[in-house]
Amino acid sequence: MTRTGAGGVLLRLAILAAVLALATWGVHLIRDALDLQVRPDNEQQIHQAIMLGSVAYVGLLALPFVPGAEIGLAMLAAFGQAIAPLIYVCTVASMTLAYTVGRFLPISALERLLSFLRMRRAAALVARAALLSPEARLAMLLDGQPKRALGLGLRYRYVALALAVNTPGNSIIGGGGGIMMMAGLSGIFSPLATFLTVTIAVSPVPLAVMFLGLQI
Amino acid sequence: MTQILQIAAIAVATLGTSAVTMTVMKEDIPDLAVPEGGWKTGHELDGRSFEILGTDVASGAVLDNRITFRNGTFQSTDCQNYCNFGWSDYQSKVIDSVIHFTARTVCPDAPHTVVWYGRVSGDEVVVDGTWTTRRWYWTNQIVITATGADAPVAGDGASG
Repeated sequence: MTRTGAGGVLLRLAILAAVLALATWGVHLIRDALDLQVRPDNEQQIHQAIMLGSVAYVGLLALPFVPGAEIGLAMLAAFGQAIAPLIYVCTVASMTLAYTVGRFLPISALERLLSFLRMRRAAALVARAALLSPEARLAMLLDGQPKRALGLGLRYRYVALALAVNTPGNSIIGGGGGIMMMAGLSGIFSPLATFLTVTIAVSPVPLAVMFLGLQI
Repeated sequence: MTQILQIAAIAVATLGTSAVTMTVMKEDIPDLAVPEGGWKTGHELDGRSFEILGTDVASGAVLDNRITFRNGTFQSTDCQNYCNFGWSDYQSKVIDSVIHFTARTVCPDAPHTVVWYGRVSGDEVVVDGTWTTRRWYWTNQIVITATGADAPVAGDGASG
């Protein structure tokens, strides 16, 4: 790598770190401004809001190209570690739902459903996948990776799936829901192993909040 | 295995994992620990009522409330307004002319448990309490401390 190239990478990393620091600061400001306290007189409303948010989170996160993860992060930011088990359970349910839909719903029906929901990018993704072999569908999850990475991805596909679900910026290839739906569509991921992969893959953030006191 | 059975198996696995996760990860918070020993069915405070001004220890929110004792039972007006707690048995004991009382009240419509522990000295009362809500996904507790003074009983319907 040239000196100019290394400098460019460092500059980008510095900008990324600055953006993350600003975003974290902003979230804390918002949380302080909301001053969300559970009290006897508002507990029922907060409970209803959490239930509604959880249902929305499961539904939206399961949809390709829909930024649902932010709902979970917002709930973690608002309620802290007490809500972490619920977020974890909802994330597992959402990922499993997306996989199940991809695996068992006929691909033409899935494409029509997504078109009906006006989710054109998601429908186009499914339409593209319909024409491909199972291995090629998996390769879509690893879009842009070198050939060697694709080979490893096919060989260690559950590891690749876990990494893809956790990769920042995976919304470009459909987000967590899109990745899991594509995994289901590929037909090369068994339900049990996929479920176990999901339970492990989505655990880092809730576990860090719960046991390490990570504050979002 | 048919597709329906596979879907059912996935659903069962998801629900089972959720249940285990909640059992293992959800932290319970114990109710207020009331000092043990010598509690009897309450009657010393029957017919009395106190206006109390409390504080939510965590948030600092001020809670204005009235507690009333009648026929061996206890009621908090705020609790009654929030969740229709009704009248609950209280226990009491007298130590050095200070009347100690405790009551454990449960909301019939929601998973709220409130535990009260108070000391009445003359016309004044000091109260500690916890309002614990045990939902299936979390346990939330509000710790309350309050002080107050004797207030006229407003009649049987005063409880809210």
